[in-house]
Amino acid sequence: MGIDRRSFISFLAGGAVGTLVTPIPWKLTDDISIWTQNWSWIPKNPEGASEYVPTVSKLCPSGCPVRVRTVGGKPVGVRGNAEHPYSRGGVTPLAAAEAELLYSPARVRRPLRRTPDQAYVAISWDEALAILEEKLGAIKGYRGKLAMVSGDPDGTINEVFSAFLAKAGSADFYLMPGEAQVAAKAWNDVMGGQGAVGYDIGNSDMVLAVGADVLESWGQVVRNRKAFADKRPHGEKPKAKYVYAGPVQNNTAAGADAWVPINPGTEAAFLLGLTYQVLKEGFRVDAAPDFDEFKTFVMSNFAPQNVQRVTGVAATTLVAVAKDLLRASAPLIVTGSEFGQGGGGAAMVAGLALNLMLGGLNRKGGLQALPDMPQVVSGAKDAKGLRSADLVAYLADVDKGRTPLPEAMLFYEANAAYGLPEASKAAATLAKVPFKASFSVFFDETAAMSDLVLPVPLGMERWDDICTPYGSGEVNYQLARQVIEPVFEAVNAGDVFLALAAKLGMSLGYSSFRQVLEAKASAIGADLDALQEGKPFTAPAKVTQYALRMNPGVLAKAIKDADKGGDIALAPVFYLRTGTGSTAVPPFNLKTIRDTELLGKESFVQLNAATAGKLGLREGDRVSLSNEAGTCAARVHINEGVMTDAVAALLGFGHTAFDAYSQGKGDNVAKVMKTRFEPGTGIPVWAGAKVKIAKI
Amino acid sequence: MSGHYGQFDIRWGMVIDLDKCTGCGACMVACQAENNVAIQTDASNKRLVTNWMLVFELSNGKSFPDHEVAYLPRPCMHCGNPSCVAVCPATVTTKDEEGGIVSQIYPRCFGCRYCMASCPYHARYFNWYDPVWPEGMEKTLSPDVSVRPRGVVEKCHFCHHRWMQAKDKARVAGEDPKALPQEAYQTACTQACPNGAITFGDLNNPEHTVHELAHSEYAFRLLERLGTEPQVYYMSRREWVRRAGDNYLADEKTGSVKNEHHS
Repeated sequence: MGIDRRSFISFLAGGAVGTLVTPIPWKLTDDISIWTQNWSWIPKNPEGASEYVPTVSKLCPSGCPVRVRTVGGKPVGVRGNAEHPYSRGGVTPLAAAEAELLYSPARVRRPLRRTPDQAYVAISWDEALAILEEKLGAIKGYRGKLAMVSGDPDGTINEVFSAFLAKAGSADFYLMPGEAQVAAKAWNDVMGGQGAVGYDIGNSDMVLAVGADVLESWGQVVRNRKAFADKRPHGEKPKAKYVYAGPVQNNTAAGADAWVPINPGTEAAFLLGLTYQVLKEGFRVDAAPDFDEFKTFVMSNFAPQNVQRVTGVAATTLVAVAKDLLRASAPLIVTGSEFGQGGGGAAMVAGLALNLMLGGLNRKGGLQALPDMPQVVSGAKDAKGLRSADLVAYLADVDKGRTPLPEAMLFYEANAAYGLPEASKAAATLAKVPFKASFSVFFDETAAMSDLVLPVPLGMERWDDICTPYGSGEVNYQLARQVIEPVFEAVNAGDVFLALAAKLGMSLGYSSFRQVLEAKASAIGADLDALQEGKPFTAPAKVTQYALRMNPGVLAKAIKDADKGGDIALAPVFYLRTGTGSTAVPPFNLKTIRDTELLGKESFVQLNAATAGKLGLREGDRVSLSNEAGTCAARVHINEGVMTDAVAALLGFGHTAFDAYSQGKGDNVAKVMKTRFEPGTGIPVWAGAKVKIAKI
Repeated sequence: MSGHYGQFDIRWGMVIDLDKCTGCGACMVACQAENNVAIQTDASNKRLVTNWMLVFELSNGKSFPDHEVAYLPRPCMHCGNPSCVAVCPATVTTKDEEGGIVSQIYPRCFGCRYCMASCPYHARYFNWYDPVWPEGMEKTLSPDVSVRPRGVVEKCHFCHHRWMQAKDKARVAGEDPKALPQEAYQTACTQACPNGAITFGDLNNPEHTVHELAHSEYAFRLLERLGTEPQVYYMSRREWVRRAGDNYLADEKTGSVKNEHHS
């Protein structure tokens, strides 16, 4: 039988109909999408019951309250804690990234020892402790041979460290530089104030932030921002006025009602200019016997035209800001450095004095003098002692030979080799120390130059605490709860030091760091169960002041502080989204960095068109920023939100350690943060450093 | 009005107060963690980076010292007339579910990217690479959202899984899953924002804050004259910020380009 035309067409039609009727093509297309999308290397989602564990972030310097979500007991994310009175569900971009950092490639996974050929070999904790015992045992009891730096600004763990050092005969225990130290020197040393400085932002109806980036990185930032949000009902006139004074239109300036651009490093003159206006209205501080002297000093030096010349702020603007302060019922002046470190004492004193004059001391919505918490580890440095110890001054003394080079240095979550001002010089000084041990979550620049690198659990892997962080308006205490067992061989440094102390025959009175935390909670009268549920302990106590000084003599000297090393003032900017010196940039956060901040391996600095024009620079040009301290490479981005003759530069780039997400990206601005010692106060200052900018 | 794609009893929407946003990026990080958005070692080539939520920087265009800055978080607009839906040849993206969320069914997507070309908000992203997490980091993935492979398009879905969970919870509690209180269903970015800049809820429900805020004299939507009818609203008391929401001619009055009727 032949195939005729009719049967051929029937066959085709039958085939077509049959194809549609059979499930084969549909199954095949379905399979194609499955085959092309379900590769074995595409991760599968975890399974198990969800739980939300309340704790506070020890990763984020603001100590953000969070809830860690676990699935089958394993963390899968960090959210805000809606029930926490400070954050009410808000979370910082750094705290929100903590879960993924559990498995960051940069984590120190086991104790490491550096071999003579600079390679790192894994060792056991017993071996690590034996090395520490040998090294520290040999110098125990000799003053000046051991120093330690802690990157935790407000944990009880510092008591363990400083007591350990004290028992080993060393007084050289330092915190990484921050705002608290500058405030303490201004308030306790220059002005004779008692207690620690606090700010009640939530109850103020006029917040003037001078330098301090209160809506981005300063203090308990989520709490500040919730206070800010409360006072701004949607689409209505704000119920509190926010004014930001600083060289860069940063995130605080973006949210504030007004941005007052001032030259970097001239915050003191700006504040004294405002003081001039307030003094004219007859305000005074009766508790300060030298007030009249102070008044004469301000009235003869800080008339608006003088202030305009120094700060670049027009007299009319100055008068308007002063009027706002005088009109407010609870005005508050928050002074700080735009990048949270290196600010001057003069500005801090001027800010505190202005608060006092406006009747702000211990008033609702004003400046607060907060008592320090009782200590629980005997022999530890007290809170005041901790705040007054100055790492930058110590290293400068070591560098100049005024203080002997220590034989051993210990670091706890402190990336001193990257984050200190004049970073290259600081790293070179640290390199000279014969034995260094770094207790760190991540393999950072300091770990990379240490002889011993010891893994510390990530915040959610350990018990820890936060004692009245700088910036808060009342005494408060929070417990950081361990959510899971460390995923690597990390051990709480508190436990390591307690064990080491016992081995060296100098008991610190506790056998575990948990006990120290329990003792702390009990000493302050906090309910441990409530703390473990993520509730903060607060106390209303304030310190009454008896003899305050305005110290115009010191101010007169300090106000003269200015760097003359270049034409352009450096204005560093610190965003929590780009991480800290000890966290680097978490992988998620890389995406929050604009391509005008980082492009490929190059970071940007920002200038306004007028400054760029003066320097003959255009968008995208490659430049070097240099001064006596060092050189930093960058590309140019034109941003009209930067003051003329200033250059804004983001912190957080230029890591040489860590992982592929941070390493080799951009350059570290800290290299050109030239330090000078403020006349009068002796405080090391690196805000307002000058640089020369050259096209390369 | 919900556009050509039907009327919905519930219309999930957002109102983002640009006077409150200070550009910190917490919404972007919270979104990535919630939705297992793939990470990349170099995130500076923005054409290759996936951001369901992206914070734009707006400038008033003036020179120092008159310069002003504002930040604009941009999720998917979940348009009433979504241009992406009309062009999708594979019914990956639809607007057919109660709530008006524009869906994105990854296993159906074969990566033609017509939707990306059609979206005027650049809210859609193509996976140029397979998602790669460093060893162990995949253990921290959220169980709620599947991981997308190379070759498919993805975008914000208003944390749709949270809505499903909220509805389940309501059913178990014997409540009406179609009448959820505002706090029962909130997106990750809304909750994360420390400034309370993002408000999320049912635009049709007078008990939800967004209903009132969307009617504010300061409310506007992006590129309104295109007629896409976004379910995401913005608000600002600053006129230059409202003007930045569309391409205004010099003689056009701010707000004059609206062509919609609030429901």
